[in-house]
Amino acid sequence: MRIDDEACIGCRLCPPYCPMSAISMDRPAKVARIEQDECVECGVCLRSGICPVDAFIEEVHSWPRSVRAAFSNPLLVHKETRVPGRGTEEAKTNEVTGQFRRGFVGVTAEMGRPGVGTRFSDVEKVAQALARVGVVFAQNNPVTYLMTDQTTGKLNSEILDEKVCSAMIESTTPVENLPAVIKELREVASQIDTVFSLTLSTRLEPDGSAPCEKVLKELGVPVYINGKTNVGLGRPLFEEVSA
Amino acid sequence: MTHTLHRRGTEESLNKDYVFLCMAAKGINEDGSEDKMREFLKIILRHEPANIGDMRTGNMYDTSIEEILAKVTSTSIVHGVFTDRDTVAIVLRELKEADLGMSIVVSGPFSSVEEICQAAGLTPHSVDYSADIWGKREKLPSDEILEVTTMCGHAMIASNLVKSLVNDIKAGEISAEDAGKEFAKLCECGIFNPSRAAELLSVMASE
Repeated sequence: MRIDDEACIGCRLCPPYCPMSAISMDRPAKVARIEQDECVECGVCLRSGICPVDAFIEEVHSWPRSVRAAFSNPLLVHKETRVPGRGTEEAKTNEVTGQFRRGFVGVTAEMGRPGVGTRFSDVEKVAQALARVGVVFAQNNPVTYLMTDQTTGKLNSEILDEKVCSAMIESTTPVENLPAVIKELREVASQIDTVFSLTLSTRLEPDGSAPCEKVLKELGVPVYINGKTNVGLGRPLFEEVSA
Repeated sequence: MTHTLHRRGTEESLNKDYVFLCMAAKGINEDGSEDKMREFLKIILRHEPANIGDMRTGNMYDTSIEEILAKVTSTSIVHGVFTDRDTVAIVLRELKEADLGMSIVVSGPFSSVEEICQAAGLTPHSVDYSADIWGKREKLPSDEILEVTTMCGHAMIASNLVKSLVNDIKAGEISAEDAGKEFAKLCECGIFNPSRAAELLSVMASE
């Protein structure tokens, strides 16, 4: 995104709208400017309609900057996954897809969330930490598509400096591996220059319990009182075959 | 995408914040799913939602409801927001009776959602837990700002805008209700709860 200097009237209405605080006023020139290295191409400034003179210009970028909009503008659909947003269907359709089965837990680190943003260099650090403890990365996930080696979590080096609003590292692992995963995440969390929100996705047992909840409690991982519940209305139901 | 997860707040406040989501599983039940998702939205609309939207089109504050309904496709993810559990219980019963065959997810306090499912005769299948924020937490805004901004899971609502509109409310330039609607426009998916936001903003403006 850029601002047309000729059109901008310096009204100062737009800077608060930028989720990445990338818009500021150039006082001598009396116009607003976008710091291109901080802009994640989310398009909020343009879509908000806050500019009274339509000075925002949305540009089409080539690789590797093109990943910014793909991971930041929720109206864009990832061409590989056909899912709008930044991740997969995960537990939302689990009763139909069987993505998360009994004995396993989905581990998703959403890098840069909430509202901080992330460089792919930090995404790679966390992906490599998860790879070290043997998780399996989700196949229909945009971050997985950017990995050059799924066994190490290494990403395409061309994108490491790119900044995005958030990027989801989605994976699955056996419940008994969860302590190792949490230990590794605790270590890598101190080595990154951003935040991540952690999601644990699980199939519920017939009595409504979730084995991973007990493990998280034992490990001292805080779990919020609210979350997402798939109420099981999707059809056809995925039939899980016991090992 | 876990866009309806990680909403923050007190138990009292979160009990006024429920999000329904409906979508098809790609390659499995997506044929004809656009009509079913449209029916989902029509059920939602019968009960005065605080917001509705489609991730592909927009929400009821930046797009007309007719346009949202008309543009639903098989890759849509459609939503409805409610502010009380009694209405959520009624809507869930109607969705069960409609037997759309689409996946339905309810975001909200687990204890309430569990009771609502039980009352509707439904056994929850899977859950997503929100297990905190990790890393450089000093980069986060205050908790009271996060309570507003995390109602848009794609982070389209800037913490600076919350501060700016709180100042405008204090100055009497905008009402808390209109500020809530301004935020709702920015959250394209239609999962932002402007009613809850208005309550939170009023408290912030009174401090």
